[in-house]
Amino acid sequence: MSNSLRRFLITRILLTIPMVLILVTMIFFIMRVLPGDPIRSQLGPRVSEEQADALRERLGLNRPLSVQYLDFLWDMVTLDFGNALTQGERPIKDELGERLPATIELTVPAIMLTAVIGILSGAYAAKNRKKPIDYIIRLLSIAIYSVPVFFMGLLFQIVFSVRLSIFPLSGRMDTLLLTNFDSRTNFYIIDSILTENWPALGSVLMHLILPSLTLGLALSGVFVRLTRVNMIEMLQSDFITAGRARGIAENKLVFRHALRNTFIPILTLLGLQFAILLAGAVLTETTFSWPGVGRYLVERIQLRDYTAVQATIGVFTLFVALISLLLDVLYAFIDPRIRY
Amino acid sequence: MTEQNILMKINDLSVTYTTRLGEVSAVNRVSFDIYKGEILGLVGESGCGKSTMGKALMRMIQPPGQITGGQIIFDDEDIMTYNDSQMRDFRGRKVSMIFQDPMTSLNPVQRVDEHIIEAIQVHEPKTKVEQALERAGTLVRKLGIQKRRMNSYPHQLSGGMRQRVMVGLGLVLNADLIVADEATTSLDVIVEAKLADQLRDIRDEFGVSLLVITHNIALVAELSDRVAVMYAGHLVEIGDVEPIFDTPLHPYTKGLLKSIPNIKLDENEDLYKMAGEPPNLTHPPNGCRFHPRCPFAMPICQKFEPELAEISPGRLVKCWLYLDHPEKEQETIEVPA
Amino acid sequence: MKNLKPSEETMPNPEEAPQWLLDLDKVGFVRKLFLARKWYGGDWWFVAISGVLLIFIIIVGIFPQWFAPYDPRAEVGPSLLEPGEPPASFQLITRVDQGEIQLRDIANRGDNIGFIIGSEASQAFREAVDLLNETAPEGVRYQPRQQRYESLIEGFDSLIAVEIDGFIASPEELGETLAEYPELQLSGTLREEGERGFVFGTNQIGQDVFSRIIWGTRIALIVGLSSAVVSLLIGVPLGLISGFTGGPFDRVLTLIMDSLYSFPGLILAIAIAAVLGAGIGNIIVSIAVLYIPTYFRIVRGQTLTVKEELYVEAARSLGTPKLKILAKYILPNVIPSVVIIFSVNVGDAILTEAGLSFLGFGLPPDTPDWGIDLARGQDYVRRAWWLITYPGLMVTLVTLSFSMLGESLSEILNPRLTEQ
Repeated sequence: MSNSLRRFLITRILLTIPMVLILVTMIFFIMRVLPGDPIRSQLGPRVSEEQADALRERLGLNRPLSVQYLDFLWDMVTLDFGNALTQGERPIKDELGERLPATIELTVPAIMLTAVIGILSGAYAAKNRKKPIDYIIRLLSIAIYSVPVFFMGLLFQIVFSVRLSIFPLSGRMDTLLLTNFDSRTNFYIIDSILTENWPALGSVLMHLILPSLTLGLALSGVFVRLTRVNMIEMLQSDFITAGRARGIAENKLVFRHALRNTFIPILTLLGLQFAILLAGAVLTETTFSWPGVGRYLVERIQLRDYTAVQATIGVFTLFVALISLLLDVLYAFIDPRIRY
Repeated sequence: MTEQNILMKINDLSVTYTTRLGEVSAVNRVSFDIYKGEILGLVGESGCGKSTMGKALMRMIQPPGQITGGQIIFDDEDIMTYNDSQMRDFRGRKVSMIFQDPMTSLNPVQRVDEHIIEAIQVHEPKTKVEQALERAGTLVRKLGIQKRRMNSYPHQLSGGMRQRVMVGLGLVLNADLIVADEATTSLDVIVEAKLADQLRDIRDEFGVSLLVITHNIALVAELSDRVAVMYAGHLVEIGDVEPIFDTPLHPYTKGLLKSIPNIKLDENEDLYKMAGEPPNLTHPPNGCRFHPRCPFAMPICQKFEPELAEISPGRLVKCWLYLDHPEKEQETIEVPA
Repeated sequence: MKNLKPSEETMPNPEEAPQWLLDLDKVGFVRKLFLARKWYGGDWWFVAISGVLLIFIIIVGIFPQWFAPYDPRAEVGPSLLEPGEPPASFQLITRVDQGEIQLRDIANRGDNIGFIIGSEASQAFREAVDLLNETAPEGVRYQPRQQRYESLIEGFDSLIAVEIDGFIASPEELGETLAEYPELQLSGTLREEGERGFVFGTNQIGQDVFSRIIWGTRIALIVGLSSAVVSLLIGVPLGLISGFTGGPFDRVLTLIMDSLYSFPGLILAIAIAAVLGAGIGNIIVSIAVLYIPTYFRIVRGQTLTVKEELYVEAARSLGTPKLKILAKYILPNVIPSVVIIFSVNVGDAILTEAGLSFLGFGLPPDTPDWGIDLARGQDYVRRAWWLITYPGLMVTLVTLSFSMLGESLSEILNPRLTEQ
């Protein structure tokens, strides 16, 4: 591994730590310090003050703030989140463990769709700048971006589930098939292949299409614009002119030379997109009753289960940081300027 | 110089840019010839149109500019009539270009050998990688590009090495004409001298013609056989290098040569500055475009545009001082052959 | 507009230079705007169209009462009425000898009003009475007795025989029969309201969808613009100072902002909103926090660039006070980008607000807000598509206008086109 690569990776990993720390601290701050009494709102007005205090005691909420903070950090590191406040008090870690694969199964196809649509449309629009097709692509991308994710989901539901009955309305799999389903990893696609449960696989895929299509399409609006802007700049580079002077065809210049160079900044952009992806996932999961982490978060907030909320947002943070780090590492391996 | 020696004939070429403020006439009805095996220097101030001229020769003018008139004749064919595919074949193979900044002119994610292989394969698709590398091998060695550098990416090379790679790309397809667009402008003096020598050697060895576009007059004096001077989109003077430097005819050329700082500058002598400023090319001056700044301007100069005329063998000037016109009152200057 | 063709045979004289070229520099801003259309092409149209749309939207937002036929919270119509469908109207039939009489006259205790068994008239009747009771003065209570009849004829006979004081039926039920009873008359319809029709239908509790989305514009604009302004007022100065000053302050602040920026915005907004509680102020704060990093980054980036420019260095070397440099040199360069970000920001904020409301963390439940309507309509996806379609379209339209404006302004102000 070359020197510059090593340096880059170390710097990057070291940078993740303070970022995660800042975010996690922010969550803590929001949860504890902002006005509003979570315990009160959870228990309701009819519970006596003693009972409220007892709960506070149990959750350790009457300890000094700094102690709570350190405890919180420790919990994050050891991934020990405690138990959910309602519904049988399952360990939060288990709940999240079940739901995180669901979210991943949803978001991965979505982001692949976004990348494909975004990059191709953006490159094509940049190549034909100021021509009608460019304006059409731009208008469409802004329009798609302006449609709220959940609205798009609802519309898809109306059209494809209700009217045309092609796809199922919600959930990850047919409930009938679920009873016989042996889920080891909670990645339903992997599990159904492992257990050779082909009807299950079919059901899973059918259930996956609408939500990931919604999410992927909704996100592509932003992405097209980003790619286009990058490509336009790239197409004015000297090396593109030099390539043209050697007789390389326009299409090749755009879709190979310029695009390969744009990949690098775009990968970074994709990382930033990830945050928007997760936000969109929360909404999509709610719309399609998808049992993922996003919906869990919403549920827990509605139930005022702050322990779970804290833990979930903490997990989100770690997840975002991890993906961001991964993408940067990938970027480092792709860009020869860093690699060598 | 006979007709057989003409490599490229440019007739009445005009290039216009459409900008927010109007149409800019960047190159206006320029005609000249490029001979086989010659080094032709093209000089002028920034914005005079020389870079545009260079790009136009390969039909590389991008919107908002376009070639609005004229012909470019190469090998008895007017490349203005070429379609896209013919043009792509032409570029790199018949005429190639080397650029000002080699760092940005090379694809950052492509290795050196990939650059060369691609250039070859674009024009001769059936060539295999090994064959391509073999062909390039001699050239690469000649230019001084070390073999181990072939696997490197542009950012790993030194500035001079990158320049050599770029020159190599210009030569690899055996073009007949190389357009060097400000190729030495970003180089320091020593590297510039090396490059100049290299260019001359290339011409001597391969018989390639060179169009050296630069604002560095000294370079032109040292390197070229002939010099062409452009001003405000017009070609104002062209001829062999020594006569032009000895006795510049066009007032602009005179001014240009006079403004070169001379190390032997007299303490009492100020640096010569030409009066006025380059014109606004959206509303260029009438008649001769230089007349507002010309110390020899005559009434006729703002009424009619002079022709670029051969007033002595091999010497063309675009100036009323040397041409006759019914309305002209002053004497026409005769130039000895 | 004439084009100059340099390859023409004769060179034009100064007198022949097209007048528009010479005038271009002299004309005012407005004419320049229109002349710019030729150069900027499609983007000009984008800006113009979105500008017009936005003006219209803002007018609707400021004066919703001009456009909305009903009070958005009032339950003015039957539940789940399809768009454009006229609400069923029910007629009150009385005896001619009762004179000019209204429902309120015969809706007292002891009065009897009849209708056909199973007719929707009974529901309408109950609602009308409820309405009367709501608007009745103190102490007055309407409670007529209901009498059911097998058929219209029986009811009419009963009415004529003074067994009941009034009869209610729909026009379809009445048909032509009334004409055969000269003793009976029409005494008006049960619903005085609702005469204006329900263009977009009604929702499950009878609120007019159209009025709700009109009033929703005001909420959306208030939230969107306020949060954007707050973000701007915090983000831009921070960006300027941070970029200009540099040093550890800058590094720390950048780290914080980058962390914030990389975090899913909606989730952060949910967290803040959940803790602060519902209420429009809290929502504005939650959303504002999300966009501060965007302003910060862009402004800081530009500040860093401009700071290195020669003319700024020159000013600094002359001893110009820092504040003046910021205000005079850097700020003007930063303004175009800020305007663009602001435009996109407002659109985005409206989307976020809709999302928050959709999830239930937004405004109080009955507010005429698009997100809330979308959430409530979710359960009726199968039956009543109009409950979600119109609010959703409105969100899209308003966000589209803001985003289109920002996008095309960005294209115009940062041409990225090589000009000679």
